[in-house]
Amino acid sequence: MSASLTESPESVARSSTARQTVWLGNGNEAVARAILDIGYDAEGYYPITPSSDVGEAVSKAYAAGKSDIAFIVGTSELAALGICTGVAVAGGRVVDVTSANGLLLKAEQMPAISGLGLPMVLNLSTRDVSAPLNIKNGHSDLYAALGWGWMIFLAPTVQAAYDMNIIAIRVAEAVNLPAIVAYDGFHTSHANRRIEVFADREDVRRFVGPPPFKATLKGENGRFSLLDVGHPRTFGPYMNDDLINAKVQMELKFARAYELLPQLFRDFEALSGRSYGFVQQYGTKSAEKCLVALNTAGEAAKDAVDEIQQSGDAANLLIPTVLRPWPEREIVAAIGDAEYVVVAERASQYGASNYLANEIGAALQRVGNSATVIQRSYGIGGLNFTKDDALKMYGEFGLHGFSSATSGALRARSEDHSGRIDTDDHRPVFDFAPQKAYHGAWPGDPDYHPGQTIKPLTAQECTINEALKSKVDLKILSGMPARFEKHSACPGCGIFTSLNLFLRGIDGHVCLLFNTGCGMVVSTGYPLTSFKVPYFHNLFHNNTSTATGVVEMIKRLRQRGDLPEEVTVVAVSGDGGDDIGMDQVIGAALRNDPFILFEYDNKGYMNTGAQLCYTSYKGQKCSNSHFGEQQAGKRQHHKDIVEILRGTFAPYLATCAESHATDMIRKARQAQATTRAGGFAFVKTLSVCPLNWGMDEHVGPSAVEAAVNACLHPLYEIVNGVTRITVDPERANKKIPAVSALVKMGGAFAHLGRPEYAELAAEIQEEVDRRWNRLKAMAENPAL
Amino acid sequence: MTATFQMPQTDSLGFCNVLMSALGGDGANMAGKLLYKIGCTQFGLDGGYDARYGSEKKGTATDVSVRFCRLGTPIRQSGPTTRPHFLVIFHDDLIEPLDLGAGLAAGAVCIVNSVLPPEKVREMLQLSSGKVICVDATRIAVECGSRLNMPLLAALCHELGFSDEEVMTLIAAQWPRASDQNLRAYSSALSQSHSAAFDSDGRYRLREVTAGQGPIGWKNMHNGGVIDALTHSTINRDNRIAGRGRVPRFDEAACNSCGICLTICSDPGGLLWRSGRMEGIDAQFCKGCMRCVEVCPDTKKGKALKIDYA
Repeated sequence: MSASLTESPESVARSSTARQTVWLGNGNEAVARAILDIGYDAEGYYPITPSSDVGEAVSKAYAAGKSDIAFIVGTSELAALGICTGVAVAGGRVVDVTSANGLLLKAEQMPAISGLGLPMVLNLSTRDVSAPLNIKNGHSDLYAALGWGWMIFLAPTVQAAYDMNIIAIRVAEAVNLPAIVAYDGFHTSHANRRIEVFADREDVRRFVGPPPFKATLKGENGRFSLLDVGHPRTFGPYMNDDLINAKVQMELKFARAYELLPQLFRDFEALSGRSYGFVQQYGTKSAEKCLVALNTAGEAAKDAVDEIQQSGDAANLLIPTVLRPWPEREIVAAIGDAEYVVVAERASQYGASNYLANEIGAALQRVGNSATVIQRSYGIGGLNFTKDDALKMYGEFGLHGFSSATSGALRARSEDHSGRIDTDDHRPVFDFAPQKAYHGAWPGDPDYHPGQTIKPLTAQECTINEALKSKVDLKILSGMPARFEKHSACPGCGIFTSLNLFLRGIDGHVCLLFNTGCGMVVSTGYPLTSFKVPYFHNLFHNNTSTATGVVEMIKRLRQRGDLPEEVTVVAVSGDGGDDIGMDQVIGAALRNDPFILFEYDNKGYMNTGAQLCYTSYKGQKCSNSHFGEQQAGKRQHHKDIVEILRGTFAPYLATCAESHATDMIRKARQAQATTRAGGFAFVKTLSVCPLNWGMDEHVGPSAVEAAVNACLHPLYEIVNGVTRITVDPERANKKIPAVSALVKMGGAFAHLGRPEYAELAAEIQEEVDRRWNRLKAMAENPAL
Repeated sequence: MTATFQMPQTDSLGFCNVLMSALGGDGANMAGKLLYKIGCTQFGLDGGYDARYGSEKKGTATDVSVRFCRLGTPIRQSGPTTRPHFLVIFHDDLIEPLDLGAGLAAGAVCIVNSVLPPEKVREMLQLSSGKVICVDATRIAVECGSRLNMPLLAALCHELGFSDEEVMTLIAAQWPRASDQNLRAYSSALSQSHSAAFDSDGRYRLREVTAGQGPIGWKNMHNGGVIDALTHSTINRDNRIAGRGRVPRFDEAACNSCGICLTICSDPGGLLWRSGRMEGIDAQFCKGCMRCVEVCPDTKKGKALKIDYA
C-alpha cells in the first residue's frame, strides 16, 4: 500500500509545533518515508529479507520525481556500505538498510565507518543469522553490532521506526558517529499500522539540520570533506600505537551523545508530540518482578502487565530504546525495587550468559543491587512473543505466582527462593550460565522414527550418457533418475526445469551445492528435503568457495583410497549469487577448481521480491527500478558473466537454454568431462520467473526460445579459449528483434514494445547487436 | 466516515480478529490490505494488518490477518491472529489439511469459497458455534472478470457490518480500471451466498491452535539440522493444493513419446515416463502450469497433452 494512497488529509491537532498526518503503512514503508522526509544525498542498496522493500519504496519515489536521492544498488551488502562510506567521506548524508547476513557481510566496514567518524544511519530490520537458514526475526544480528562503535537505537513499533530515524541522524551528525536503528523483522517491518508522520518535510529537515556538505567543507563540528581541494586532507591514514587514542576519542563521542540525547528527545517531543527516552518503563516500579524485553516483545508484554495489575498484583516492565550509548543509570532506575529481573532476549550468547542479561547484571552489581537476573532466550527464528508468553515469564519464578485467574495457571511450580530454574518441564540447564533457559523450544518425540521413503541413487543407474557417446536421445535419457523429488517452486518456474534437464546430461553420483535463493528455499523446508543426492546450502555469496573446499576434499580422499565413488560437484546459483559472490566465482575459475557452476539466470533477485540484478536487461521493470518521470526501469545493460569469466581462461564456459535440450545435454556432458579432467566449468541458463516477470505459467519454453532467437541469450561455448556459437539463429534465419522476445517475456519487459519506449528499445537492440557481432567475430577467429 | 461503527465481536483486548487463509497468488494480501484501509479510513477504526511470512511461493498456503480495534486502543501484539472471529477461506480444500477450524472463537463467522452446503462446511471445520457463509467465489470471479479475492472480500465486509455502498465506492476508486468487474463480483457475492447459523449444540468443542511443534526437537534433531533424505523426502507431498488439481489430460493414443515435454517440465516427476515411454501425469506431483501442453506437438492424432476443461 503506497503512502500516497493512504495519506489522510486530516491533520492531528495537539500541542506539537509541526503538523502531523495520519498514515497507514508497514515498518519498512515507515522507514522509507523517514528517509525521504529527512532528505538524504544517497542510499546504498542491496536486497535482503525482511528489509528489501525500504529501498524499493525509496527508489519508487525517486522514479516518480518525488525525491532527488541517489539510489545506488551495489553488488553486495559490503559494496552497498562501501558506497555509503564514499558518500559520507565526501560530505554527504547517507543511509543504508539491512538485516542478518547482510549486516555481517558489512561487518568489516562497520568499525571502519565509526572509526572514521562518519555519521550515517543504518536501518536494521532484525533477523536471525543462522544456518540452517531462517529469514525471520532474531536479534543475533543486532547483538553482533554491540561493540562496533555505532550508536544503537531500538524501535519497538512502526511509529518508532519512523521517529527513531529522524532522531538518529540528528544525533549522529551532532557527534560524528554512525547509528543503527533496529526494528523487528516481520513483526515490525511487515506490520501495517496507523501512525503519524510529519505533514511537511520541511519540519523534519529543520529538525535534522541542513545537509552536511557545506559545513563539512568548512570543517564544522570536527567533520571534514574529502572534496575540500582548497584544503587537502588525508582520510584514513595508517596508524600504529596512536590508534588507542582514536578509540578514546570515539568513546568520548558516545559520552557526548549520552549527554545530548535527553534534550534531543525533548526537542522531538516538542515538535511531534511523541515522547521517547533511553528506556520505556511500564507498570509499577516497586513491583517484585521486572521483565526486560526489546522491541515488539516489550510491546506485547505491556498487555500482560495490564492484565496482572488489573487483577491486583504488580509488575514492572522495561523496554530499552537505546543500547549504545548504554543507559546504565536509566536502566537501573527503571528496574526499581524488583527482586527478580527476567531478561528476555531474542537471541542467545551460546556458551555463556546472554548479552543484555550480563550487562544488566553488571549494572545492578555496580550499584549494590542484589536482584536476581533470570535469563530467557525466546523467539529465535521468529516465533511470536505474545501477552501469554510474557505472563508465563512473570509467572514462572519468584516466591509466589500471581493470584489472578489468568496467570494462576501459569504460576511457577517451583517454590525455590533462589529463583533457580524449575526443571520439571525438562528444559536444559547450563552450568556456565546460571538462570538461563530457553522459552518456546521443544524436545521432540523420542519415539519418532519415520521409515525410509526413497532409495539412494546408484552410480550405475545414473550412468546413461557414457554409452550414448555423442548421441543425444531424449527417450533413452528419460531413464535418467531425477536427482530431486517434489519442490515448492511456483508453477512454471524455470529453475528445476533447467536443472533437471542439465542433470540428465551428467552421469554418476552428483553432489549439489546451492546458493541462497529461490532454488534452495523451495526445496529444503525443514524437516523435508527434495534432494535425493547429497546437498549443501551454504551462504548466498560463497557457494563457489565452498565447492572448492568440497572438491579438494574429494581429491584427497580419493588419493588416499578412502572414497571409491567418483562424485561430480555441481554448484547451483541464481544470477544474484554471481553478483554478491562474483569475486569468489572468479577465484574458483582462476584456481581452475574441478566443479561445475550452474547459474540459473532469472534476471533479478526473485527470492527477495524481484529487485534488479546486474543481469537484468536495461529498461526491465524491477521492484527497485521503477518507471516515472526521472527513471525508466533498470538503467544499465545486462551483465555478461560469461564474457567476464572469459578473462579467467577457465577451460569451459557455456550458455544453455531449456528450449534447446540437445544443446544443453551436450554442454552438460562437456562440463562434466571438463571437471573429470580436473578443470572448472561454468554453464549458465536463462530461467523464467513467471511470477516476477508477469508471464503466464505455460509461456516459459517459447519465451526462452524467443530470447535465444533474439540473441538476448545467445547459445555458445568457450572451450579452452576458443569460442563456438552452438545455436545460430541468424544462420537458421530465425533471428528476431530483441523487443519481439521481450514482449513475450511478461510485464517486466513488455512495456519496451510500446511506442513511448521505442528509443530505449532501439538502444537495447544496438547493444544486443554489438555483443552478437563481437561474439560472431570471436567465433570466427580462434585466436580471439 | 461512520464514526459510530460498532464491531460485531471483540476479544478481551478489544480486537475484532479477521484471518484469511489462501494460496500465494490468490490476492489475499491485497484483500487484507484493502480491508485494513477500509476499516481505518472509512469506519473510524484502528488495528493491525499482519501476514505470515516465510518462503511461501505462488501456490503455497498463506494467511493474512487483520485485527480491528477502536481508535485509542493500544496495539501491542504483533504477528497474525490465531483466534479469529471472522475466517475467510479461499479454497474449501484447505480446511482439513490446515485444520482451519482450530482457534476459531465461539460464534465465529466463516466465509468459505465453496459450492458445498454450509452444513457440510461446518462439519469440515468442526465449528462449535457460529455462522458459515458459502460463496461460489471461483465461479463469480470468472463470470465477472474479477480476482478471487473480490467476492470473498464482499461477503466479509458485509458480515463485518461495513456499509456495502461505502466499500464499493472505495473499491472502485482503488482499482479504477477494473471497477466494473469488481463491483459486479461484489454484488454477485452478496446475492448468491448461502449461509447457515449454528448454535453451540455440543457437537464440537472450541479448539486451540496447536503450536507448530513437530516431532523433531532439540533432543532428536540431527547435528546442525541435517535432514536425512532417505526418510524425510518430499516424495509423499501432495502438490494438488498448488495446482488446484488442474493437470493436463493425457491421450496415450496421440503420444509418440517424443520427449519434448520431459525437457520443459518444471516439476520433473509430474510426467510419468517408464522405459522411454510417456505414460501419463502424476496428479500429486504436477502443479498444472501447462508448459507441456504448450510444447506438445500437434500431430495427425492431435496433441497428446491437452487442457481438460471438463
